[in-house]
Amino acid sequence: MGMDRERPIERFLPLRPVEFHVLLSLAAGERHGYGIIQDAETRGEAVVPDVGTLYRALRRMQDQGLIGAAERRLAPDAGDERRNYYRILPLGLRVARAEARRVESLARAARLGGLLEEAGA
Amino acid sequence: MSEERWLERSERWSRLLLRLYPPHFREEMGDEVVEAYRDRSREALRRGGVASLLWVWLRALADSLRNGPGERLRPSIAWRRMGSWGRDSELVLRRLSRAPLFVAAMVGTLTVGLGAFAVVYAVVDKVLIEPLPYENPDDLYFAWRDYGAIFDLKRGWLGGTDVAALKDGGGVIRDVAGLGRESRTLGGEGRGEPQEVAVMVSTPNLFDLLGVRPMLGRGFAPGEGGPGRPPVAVLTYDLWRNHFGGDRGTVGTEIRLNGEPYTVIGVMGRDFHFVRHSSLGPPQGADVYTTFDVNLAETDPGAGSYAGLLRARPGATPQAVESAVEGVGRRVDERDFQSRGLRLYPVGMKPDLVSGVRPALVVLGLAGLLLVVVLMVNLATLLLARAAQREREFAISRALGANPAALVRATLLEGGVLGALGGAGGALVAIWVTRGLVSLAPLDLPRRESIGVDPGVAAVVVGVGALLGLLAGGVPAVWATRTRLSTLLGATAVRGGGGHGRMRRGMVVVQVALALVLLSTGGLVLRSFAQLLRAEPGFQPADVLTFTVPVTQDRYPDDAAIRAVEDRIRDALAALPGVRSVGSTSALPLTADASQTTARFPSAPGNTGEDEHDAPLIDYVSASAGYFDALRIPLLAGRVFGADDREDARAVLIDHTLAETFFPGANPIGATLMLGGDSLTVAGVVKQARLYDIHRDDRPQVYLNNREYVSRSLSWALRTDRSPMSLVSEARAAVWEVDPQLAVSDVRSMDQVVAESLRQQRVSTVLISGFSLGALLLAAMGLFGVVAGSVIRRRHELAIRMALGAEQGQALRLVIGEGMSLVLLGLLVGVPGVYLAARVVGGVLVGVSPFDPPTLGAVAVGLALVALIACYLPARRVLGIEPAVLLRQE
Repeated sequence: MGMDRERPIERFLPLRPVEFHVLLSLAAGERHGYGIIQDAETRGEAVVPDVGTLYRALRRMQDQGLIGAAERRLAPDAGDERRNYYRILPLGLRVARAEARRVESLARAARLGGLLEEAGA
Repeated sequence: MSEERWLERSERWSRLLLRLYPPHFREEMGDEVVEAYRDRSREALRRGGVASLLWVWLRALADSLRNGPGERLRPSIAWRRMGSWGRDSELVLRRLSRAPLFVAAMVGTLTVGLGAFAVVYAVVDKVLIEPLPYENPDDLYFAWRDYGAIFDLKRGWLGGTDVAALKDGGGVIRDVAGLGRESRTLGGEGRGEPQEVAVMVSTPNLFDLLGVRPMLGRGFAPGEGGPGRPPVAVLTYDLWRNHFGGDRGTVGTEIRLNGEPYTVIGVMGRDFHFVRHSSLGPPQGADVYTTFDVNLAETDPGAGSYAGLLRARPGATPQAVESAVEGVGRRVDERDFQSRGLRLYPVGMKPDLVSGVRPALVVLGLAGLLLVVVLMVNLATLLLARAAQREREFAISRALGANPAALVRATLLEGGVLGALGGAGGALVAIWVTRGLVSLAPLDLPRRESIGVDPGVAAVVVGVGALLGLLAGGVPAVWATRTRLSTLLGATAVRGGGGHGRMRRGMVVVQVALALVLLSTGGLVLRSFAQLLRAEPGFQPADVLTFTVPVTQDRYPDDAAIRAVEDRIRDALAALPGVRSVGSTSALPLTADASQTTARFPSAPGNTGEDEHDAPLIDYVSASAGYFDALRIPLLAGRVFGADDREDARAVLIDHTLAETFFPGANPIGATLMLGGDSLTVAGVVKQARLYDIHRDDRPQVYLNNREYVSRSLSWALRTDRSPMSLVSEARAAVWEVDPQLAVSDVRSMDQVVAESLRQQRVSTVLISGFSLGALLLAAMGLFGVVAGSVIRRRHELAIRMALGAEQGQALRLVIGEGMSLVLLGLLVGVPGVYLAARVVGGVLVGVSPFDPPTLGAVAVGLALVALIACYLPARRVLGIEPAVLLRQE
C-alpha cells in the first residue's frame, strides 16, 4: 500500500479512542487482539474497548496501513493458532505521535484558557 | 459444570453473535473474535464465577448489536475514508479500453436513449419550466371578457373601455396595456418586394410593462399614443435582419405600412419574442410594434377587439388579482352593459401560454422518463453480464484479499464512466435532433424559437447519464460483493453461469412490463393520429394552392375599388394554365381567422324561445362564388352564390349544423337570417369547413357573399391540375401584373395548411412511437441475452436430456418456454401500468378510447411476437448441441 503511506498524517486525525489504544499497545510490542484489551485494562483506562469494536478497528487499521500482521508469535500459548498477532507499521507510529501531540497541545490550550486546573490539582 | 463446558457454551454464544456481522468480517476476523471472547470468558469465570460469565455474555450481546450492523454499513463510510477513486478510475478506463465492443454497445444504447430524453427534456424545460423572459413574469396576466351571460363565448376580447377601466382599477393592478394586432403591407418602395407583416398595435406602456428594452434606439414614450400620436414603430430583430439587412442606420428612417409613413425608433433584441394571447386560436407574434391612434377609453364598449395585458403589484396573489379584475368587471358591466352579467377575469400569462401543449408535453415527458428507466434496466443487464464474465476474477481477487469495497467501486465507476460518455453522446445527438424537431414543431408551440440544447440542458443530460450508469452499476456491484469463491469456482466450472441469473430474469420481466406500457401508449397515440389523418374536415385539401393578398386602404379606398381589383386578380389567376377554379375568402379553413357574431332565424321551426338557443354565436366568413368549388366544400341543399355582381347581395349560406338545429326535417332555403342588424336570405346549405380542429365541428358557420361584404384581406384558393406548389411563381407574377404594390403572403398548398394544423400531434406521435420502439428493442435485447445465457448454462442438462432420447424440438421448446414465461409475467406486471398510462394519455387522444381493445390487443400480440423471435434466435443454439461430444468434453 505504497500510496497510502504518502498520505498526509492529518487525514487520520483525530483518532478514535480504540484506535489510539491499539497504536499505544502495539508501539510497545506485538500483541494479539485480546492482549490489547488487557493492556488497556492494566493501564487503568476508564473505558476499555469492546471486543467487536476492537476487531473492527484492527481490520480497518490494517486496510489503512497503520498496523500489519506480525510474522512471528512472541509468546506462543498452547492451542493458540487461531490468534493473529499485530505489529505497528511506521505510518501507524507517525499517526500515533501526531495524535499524542494534538491531544497535548489541546490540553495545553485548555490549561492556558483556564478550562483545566493545574496538573495535580 | 466444568470450566471447559462453560467455555464451549461461551464459544457457541459468540459464534451466534457473530452472525450479526457481515460475512466478509466473519470470514476474516471471526476466529479471532471468538478466541478473544473465550479469553475474556475464562478470565471472568475464574474471577467471579458464572454470574460474571453471564455478565460477559450480556456485554458481548450489546457489543455485537452495535458493531455488527455498524460493520455492515461500513463500506459506504470506508470509501469516503479510503478514497482511492483516482486509481480506480484509471483502472476502469484501462479495462474499458480493452473491451471496445462492450463499450460501443453501452454507449450506443445510451446515446440513442439519452438523446431522446434530452430532446424531450429540452422542450419540457423551455416550455413548461423556465420562466418567461420578462421582468417578474409571474405578475403578468391577460384579461378576458366572459360573454357567457349573453352568448356562448367564455373568452372574448376586451373592449377598449375595459382596458381603460382596468388601468384605473388601482389596488393590486399596477399597469395595463391594450393590444391589437393587424396585418399590414410593409411598403416595397425601393426596398424589395412588398411584404405582409404582422403589426402589434398597443398602448405605449407595453415594453415598460414587460420590463424589456429595445436593443437599438428606444421604446415608446408615454405620450406617444392616442389621437394625434406621432407615427413611430419598433421593429423586431428578425424583420430588421431580413428586411433591412441588419442596418443600424434603420433607426430614425421612415418605413411605410399600408402606405402610411412611420418613423423607426427602435429595434428589439434577438431573444424578444412576445406573443399576444388570442381569445380563440393560438397566440400570435408580430414583426412591427406601434401604438394606438385612438383613446381606448373613448371606443365603443360593445366592440371587443383588444387583448388586455396586466401587471400586478409584486407579490400579489392570483386570487387578489382575480378579485380586483372581477371588481372592475362588475363596474364596467353596470356602466356599459346595463348589468347584463358580463364578467372580466385574468389568466396567468405562462399557464395560459402553455395550457394548449401541456397535456401532450406531460405525456411526452412521462414517456421519456419511462424510456430512461427501461434504458437503466438494460444497462444494468449489460453490466451484470459483464460482471458475470468477470466473476472468476472477482472471486479470486476476493480470495486473494482484495477489498470488496474496491470491487464495488470499480463496478460503480465503470457504470458511471459509461453513463457519462453516453450522456455526452446523447447531448450531441439531441443538439441535432432538437433543431430538426423545432422546425417540425407547431408554429404556436410556446417559445419554440428558444428551444434548444444549451449547456444547462447538456449538463443535465450528462449528469442523468452518469447517474443512470451508477444506478445500473449498483446492481452488479451488490452482486459482486456477495460473490463467494467457493460457490463461484464451483458454479462456473460446472455450469458456466453464476447466481446472477435470477436478477437478470427479473430485469427482463421489468423491461417487458415497461415496454408494454410504452408500446400501448405509442399504439394509442398512433391510432389517434391515424384518426386525425382520416378526419373529413369538410373540404378536399388536395391540389389546392392558397395565399393571401391584402388590399390596402391607401391604394383601394372604397368597396368599389376592392371589388375591381379582386375581379382583375381572379381573372388573372383563372387564366393561368392548369387552374380549374379560383375562389376567395376572408378566412381559410383551419386558420381560426373568422369573426364572430350572433345569428337568428326569426321564423325557423327549431326555435325554442330561449335566447341562448335561438341566438347562437356563429363564425362568419365572406366568400366568393368560386370558393366552394375550389375547396370542394359539399353543397347539401340549394345553391352557392351566383357569379353575377351584387345579384345575390342578400344571399347567405349556412352550414349543416345550423340547418339541423333550426330546420330539423324542414327546408331552410329561402328562410330569413338576421345577422347583426342585417336581414339575409338563406340560399344554400353547405357542410361545415372546419376552421379550428380538424377532427370535430366547432361553432356554426355562415358564409356571406363577398361581393357585398368585401374583405381587405382576401385569401385565394386555386384548384389546379398541376402540383400546387409548381404554380407559385406564376401566381405571384399574375398578382403583380395587376398591381406590383400588392403583397402575396402565406403561400401554402392546402395540404400544407392541414399538415401544419396537425404538426404538434405529428411530432408527439413520432416521438412516442420512437420511444416505444426503442423500449421494445431494449426489451428484446434483454430477452435475447437471458435466453442465450440460459442455453449456455443448461447445455449439460440439455445434452443429458437429448442423450436420454429427448428430441431437439423438445429441448428447443424447453428453452423458449423459459423465455416466454418471463414475457408472460412481464405482460401481467405491465397491465396496471397500461391502465395508469391510459389515464394520463386519455386527454390527448382523439377518436380512440384509452382502453381501445384492438389497439391494446395488437400491442400485446406484437410484443409477444417480437419476444418470441428474441427467444427463438438464441434458442436455436440448442440445435447445435451434440450430446456425445459435449458430455465427453468435461
